[in-house]
Amino acid sequence: MATAASKIFGGQPPKGAYLQAVRLIGNPGAFVRANLILIWLALFVLVWIFNPIKAMPYPSEIWQTLGEMWRLQGSQGLVYNTYVTLKLNVVGLLYATIISLVIAYLSVVPLFQPFNKTVQWLRYIPIVGFNLVFLTLFTIGWPMKVAMLTVGMSFFLVTSMTGVIASIPPLKFELARVLGYSDWQTFYRVIVRGTAPQMIDMIAQNAAIGWVMITAIETYNRTEGGIGSQIYAYSSINNLPAVYAYLIVIGVIAILEDWLFVLLKRALFPYTTVAERA
Amino acid sequence: MAEPENDDTSCQPGPLAGAAELHEPLLVVEKLDKGFRLNDGSTLLVLKDFSLTIRDIKDKPQIVSLLGPSGSGKTTALRIIAGLDEPTAGCVLLTEGAGKPPRPVRVGDVGVVFQRYPLFEDLNVFNNLIEPAVRSGMSRQAAKDKAAQLLDEFDMLKQGLAWPMQLSGGQRQRVAILQQLMQDRHFIILDEPFSGLDPVNIMNVIELLTRTANMHTLNSFIIITHDVTSALIISDHVFLLGRERDAKGQPIPGARVMKEYDLIAEGLAYHPEVEDLPRFSEIRKEIKLVEFPKL
Repeated sequence: MATAASKIFGGQPPKGAYLQAVRLIGNPGAFVRANLILIWLALFVLVWIFNPIKAMPYPSEIWQTLGEMWRLQGSQGLVYNTYVTLKLNVVGLLYATIISLVIAYLSVVPLFQPFNKTVQWLRYIPIVGFNLVFLTLFTIGWPMKVAMLTVGMSFFLVTSMTGVIASIPPLKFELARVLGYSDWQTFYRVIVRGTAPQMIDMIAQNAAIGWVMITAIETYNRTEGGIGSQIYAYSSINNLPAVYAYLIVIGVIAILEDWLFVLLKRALFPYTTVAERA
Repeated sequence: MAEPENDDTSCQPGPLAGAAELHEPLLVVEKLDKGFRLNDGSTLLVLKDFSLTIRDIKDKPQIVSLLGPSGSGKTTALRIIAGLDEPTAGCVLLTEGAGKPPRPVRVGDVGVVFQRYPLFEDLNVFNNLIEPAVRSGMSRQAAKDKAAQLLDEFDMLKQGLAWPMQLSGGQRQRVAILQQLMQDRHFIILDEPFSGLDPVNIMNVIELLTRTANMHTLNSFIIITHDVTSALIISDHVFLLGRERDAKGQPIPGARVMKEYDLIAEGLAYHPEVEDLPRFSEIRKEIKLVEFPKL
């Protein structure tokens, strides 16, 4: 493992670096960290190959199924279904972000606090429980899926974003006040601008929740396809390699999404990289 | 803790006592009471009959210290003087120049350099100075010029593009002071500027504040501190804040100004080697050994 990491990252670990890896808040350095990733990956693959639970297909089966699904054309294909779900995820996340930001920002006005608390409480309720309400309000298919995802994600986003606002040190507000900022200027400076990087973190975290919801939502609305409906369809015929292939696709998209949010945060708020290093 | 409402209606803006004197009062704190309602329904009285007057010292740097032991209500007093909190009774009046009638202080009238020096973390040093000044009505160009001049005065020009996160504690303190100096506020309160510093750094802060006061004689600095020596070195007036004691020696709730030291009259203000003067040692000893234990 050390040789592989050496080839990729170059260099050798400093003396005692591996001991740092098992210490509380140890600092083993980039070389050992890279090795640790490789070690864990190897362990994961080994457990996967030699696992006694036969319900889990082998990596080779999944790889082969991925290839077959890639070659499928139209509504059965991997590309089409991934596109449908990805589009839903992006649109739902966009709407949920806008709605949640407004509700979270309004939490600083006492009048809206009970409404905010109610929205937070609703995150305990499964979104499919509101199926009938959505059916009444929206056309079945794309509009209903977007609405369900938006509302479902908003319950979680509002909670996280309100938490970010609640954790602003009171001294920040007081600094703005003694510097002569008006209420609205203080709101913009301390709440909107001051918490923007954390809001991106919250959106990134809740994008993951969105993927969990999408599979449930697309199971209930299978008219246009999508990863959720495909997972449901393949599960019902016990085609586990295809199910796992789609789960891996979700995992890869999620990693890319996380990475995009990190890039976005660094580009828009360069000072956060300084904070991370500090 | 809930705050009882101000029930004092007698404290109205008007001519200040002693206004005809040569050194006219700039800031008058009159009979402040401040209590906090506790969960059990009782009231914790922090300030009681708290009064002080800060007079203009023409063309001289002005640094006043509010000195008291921990828990004596200094921060509560600071917050009321800065307009951040309402008193339960009494008022804080401010004059904005000769001939102008005094008026109750409003938030934003008095600058505050808080402990731990909060800054806007998403703005670099330069913009931390410019943005608040522009919001207060200064033109962007004037704010830029003033910020550059102040940063130069304080040897911080090189850090102009740095983020607050990249600054040392001392540099943050300087930026926090400059942020207030940008605002053209007459009074700037500094909350415990010597807290947690070693003797060398305390002397650096004293030197910094003295230099600032000398360069900006239109500004008056109010230092909230429990550091007796530093307060005596830097100030022209020291107000000793504390509580009365009952017959059993227990403190009676509600702090007020117990004693005022006029260090100009004592010959201790504006003296470069003030620590070497016998009177300085006497007063320091008096405060540390006689006054502080009583507070």
